[in-house]
Amino acid sequence: MALQFGVKHLFPVSKCLVKNILLKNVCKYSSKSTPTTTHALQDITDWETLNKKKKTSKAMKAYLERAKEHDEFMKKQEFEFNIGKRHLANMMGEDPETFTQKDVDRAIEYLFPSGIYDPAARPLMKPPEEVFPARKAAEFDEAGRPHHFLFYTGKPNFFKLLYDGAELIQQAYDFQDKVTRKKAVPDPNGELNIGNSAWLTKDQLEQVLVENITDLEYDNFKLLMERLVSLPYSYRHKEFIEKYQKPLATQKFALEIPKPSYDDEGRAFVTTYECLRKKARGDVTIRVPGTGKITINGKDLTYFEDIQPREQVMFPLFFTNMQQSVDVECNIEGGGPTGQSGAIRWGIAWGLRSFVDKHMLEKMQVAGLLTRDHRRRERKKPGQPGARKKPTWKRR
Amino acid sequence: MISRSWRIVCRRYSQTVTFRTTESSPSQHNEKQIGLFYSIKPDLCKQLFAHGGLPKSFSKQTKTFTETAIMVRQPALDLIDCIKATDFNKPVIRYVMYGEKGSGKSLTMAHLLHYAHEEGYLIIHVPWVSEFLRRVTRHKEMSNSQTHEGFVDLPLDVAAWLLHFKTQNQALLKNTELKISKSYVWSKRETTEAGAPLSQLVEHGINRVKYACDVLDALVYEIKQLSDNKQCKTFVAIDGYNGFFYPLTRLHTPTKKKVKPEEVTLTTSFLELTKNDWTNGVVVVTADQLALPDDNQESYLPRYLLYKKGFELLDPFVPIEVGRYSDKEFLSCASYYRDRLWLRGPPEIETELKFTSAGNPYKFMEQCAPL
Repeated sequence: MALQFGVKHLFPVSKCLVKNILLKNVCKYSSKSTPTTTHALQDITDWETLNKKKKTSKAMKAYLERAKEHDEFMKKQEFEFNIGKRHLANMMGEDPETFTQKDVDRAIEYLFPSGIYDPAARPLMKPPEEVFPARKAAEFDEAGRPHHFLFYTGKPNFFKLLYDGAELIQQAYDFQDKVTRKKAVPDPNGELNIGNSAWLTKDQLEQVLVENITDLEYDNFKLLMERLVSLPYSYRHKEFIEKYQKPLATQKFALEIPKPSYDDEGRAFVTTYECLRKKARGDVTIRVPGTGKITINGKDLTYFEDIQPREQVMFPLFFTNMQQSVDVECNIEGGGPTGQSGAIRWGIAWGLRSFVDKHMLEKMQVAGLLTRDHRRRERKKPGQPGARKKPTWKRR
Repeated sequence: MISRSWRIVCRRYSQTVTFRTTESSPSQHNEKQIGLFYSIKPDLCKQLFAHGGLPKSFSKQTKTFTETAIMVRQPALDLIDCIKATDFNKPVIRYVMYGEKGSGKSLTMAHLLHYAHEEGYLIIHVPWVSEFLRRVTRHKEMSNSQTHEGFVDLPLDVAAWLLHFKTQNQALLKNTELKISKSYVWSKRETTEAGAPLSQLVEHGINRVKYACDVLDALVYEIKQLSDNKQCKTFVAIDGYNGFFYPLTRLHTPTKKKVKPEEVTLTTSFLELTKNDWTNGVVVVTADQLALPDDNQESYLPRYLLYKKGFELLDPFVPIEVGRYSDKEFLSCASYYRDRLWLRGPPEIETELKFTSAGNPYKFMEQCAPL
């Protein structure tokens, strides 16, 4: 065995020696410029001289110039924005030092009132980072060597992200193996909770990475993150995951729920004004220790002759199981049965918020009871019989 | 096999069959049976209600459920008690039933008819007044009346009604000897002698449609006489009485002139009946919104529906309100529908239905239909 090893070791060495000899022979036979061979060899080894002789190509030069220009431009814009902010503060009579972006927005809205529908088309004054699209800093240096190791993929940031994710998955697997070898159990408290947050959308991801992504690549990204999260030890890489998550807003309500006031008999009641749906307008009062009586414009539920409006009115009460415990009193005018019943339903649900616990509140929101239905009748357009209906389409 | 049938039997008896009562005679109904259903035998049903009397949707329901079941409710029981306690020597008491659309007036009327039939009353039942005055299909057979000047006749309708009268009172007309007091000369060859049985008069009216309206007048007069002479007790039931007092009907003469209800002979006959100048009888009348055209259906109270004239005519009357289902009645009705497999689904449906139908019996029936 030892002898064999020794022989194996010997062979490669001998091979090398043979190779060198062969090479030298080749050099002798093939190269013409024999006097400069030593010089060429010297140049190859000397990195700095190589560097000096090599010129940066025109494209590279132009790119570097553009990058420099952009940086300067951004700096100038930043400077101008700050000065403008101070001027604006002076105009509005407020302290320039404590003039926040919100104040700027308010001032602009006051000074340049606009009736344009789209908020993005109205006059605005924002810091230049938000206004001008972000560009990547110089991706390669003067020699043309890119800074990023994945530059030649075309989308370095995106692929770096995937690469990091894959590495973290591998690390998680290794950790899992280690733990099972030591016969331990994963810590149940460290479970990641992703129920109340969603992954970034494609547009948001594009904004973060400053690169364009195709749909396929975005799907791959999502698959990767789902995979990472599904592992038992993903909590160790929490920061990475949270960077690409967006929390779903459910905490908006807690601040806005009105407190019930008390009337003469000592019953708690809540009035919701401005209940609208289509053309119906009205207000709804809910009194809490009640028997399930409903009064609409002084009449009973028989105010609505059809079942559908009656069902609309009863839906929030039955959903929250408060049909026997609440009294409802409403006044509405305008619109027809559907509009009026929709307005009452919203009014009841909005009022019930004060008498219902948080869990039921979320359920109500999911059921769509608390959203104001903003649909209105669409205008009929000229040249068409209706809002969307077109005259018969003829191919020729 | 045996175990299966045993299980079915057990299930039947273990179910709380609380919506039915086996007491099928209305005179025995009392407050213990409020909210419970009792069924009428089919032949009796046919006899009493062959030409109307039950609302159309209800008769369709009877076909589906293969039985006629009526709920015992407070207004009917009140009326029965009042009738039992009346003094038949005094002039007739008039009862007016009123209530919202679909609250159960016609069915209460049906319940009372059954009671009257059992007690042996002579029944005069007008199923639905508007049918005479407003249901103009294509061409109403009308003719100018010969005995009354300027009045309009509806011969076919009256003949049909006489047939209805005959079927309802078959037993009475056959058994007892109710004789007419006067003789009536219809034409040169046809007369009905005094002393002839009432049935003969009715037959004549049915056979000779031309004289049907006059027969009706005669019949009314005779029945009043007979009641006064204590030979029979009469039960008058008119559904949709307020239809007589609406200013217009849908009829018009061949000269396209609109006819008022007072110009139709049958209104006068039935109005005679409801006057309180005779004894030994009971008059029950309903005031219904549906008897009027849709524009005038604002309220269901009798004062509004009967107009001034009707109100004055009926003036000392006993009003009886037929209201919506109470909780107990509602539950009993719901369990009846479940038993008939008309209503299916989880029990929560019941609370929801109670809410949406607002306790109205007709609406409840309608809303169960698609379920």
